[in-house]
Amino acid sequence: MSHPFSLIVTDTSPLFTLVLADALDALLRPGLAVSIPDAVYIEATRVHGAPGAEQIVEWINAHLDAVRIIPTDIGIDQQRRLEEGRSIRGLGEQAAIETLERFLRSDAAAEALLLLEDTDVEKRRAIVDERVSLISTGDFLRELEAARLIQSADFILDQAAAQGRNVERQRAAVTDPTTRERLRGQLQRRDTPGQGR
Amino acid sequence: MPESDRERLIRQYAAGEVTWHTLRERGFEDYVQVLGALGELGLRPPIAPMEGPNVETRRRGRAIIREALKARS
Repeated sequence: MSHPFSLIVTDTSPLFTLVLADALDALLRPGLAVSIPDAVYIEATRVHGAPGAEQIVEWINAHLDAVRIIPTDIGIDQQRRLEEGRSIRGLGEQAAIETLERFLRSDAAAEALLLLEDTDVEKRRAIVDERVSLISTGDFLRELEAARLIQSADFILDQAAAQGRNVERQRAAVTDPTTRERLRGQLQRRDTPGQGR
Repeated sequence: MPESDRERLIRQYAAGEVTWHTLRERGFEDYVQVLGALGELGLRPPIAPMEGPNVETRRRGRAIIREALKARS
């Protein structure tokens, strides 16, 4: 493609699906420049130790030639809201719109492909501009499957759900009062001389 | 949210009857929670059928990916 072209990740869901399935590299297979709006990136990675967060950061750093984090005004607002303990819900999507508008304004020939979550792209009308196309995570995986670049779309989605289940069980164990109390008891026993060995 | 409501919503989501947008409005904080809930029920995230208001732009999107993949093979 001779004109500017970007694949814009509009939401955290494709990132979480692919990272939990250990398949983030799938995003790079078409060889298109990948843009992640700052608010989407922050939403996916802001909690230290959160599932997938570290892998997403490492993956981006390993592919800075192909993946860019795009600064936005919405991202600045998001930072302020986080500092004030306010909700940041929906800001990723707004930042994606800002990213798209800036990108299209940068060059009259620029074209973009927006990556969206499946149910949202099926039921919610998205921006219509002849220079903008849409693709869902599932559509994207189906194309990779057809090109024999992944085993199957269903396999990746199954992997993501299975890994998500493990992560949620770990989260639940940490927040469950009984489990917490048991852990505390074990730690106390270890602190007591002659015990917990 | 009561567990029964949560399970019902997730089943509806897996069947493509409610959107991720709706799940967020109903209290799911991030998509990892959604994946986890799907995994607990032995379900997977839905792939949207080629229907709805964005069909043409989606077809264009798939064609772009197809061409890009072909160009690299």
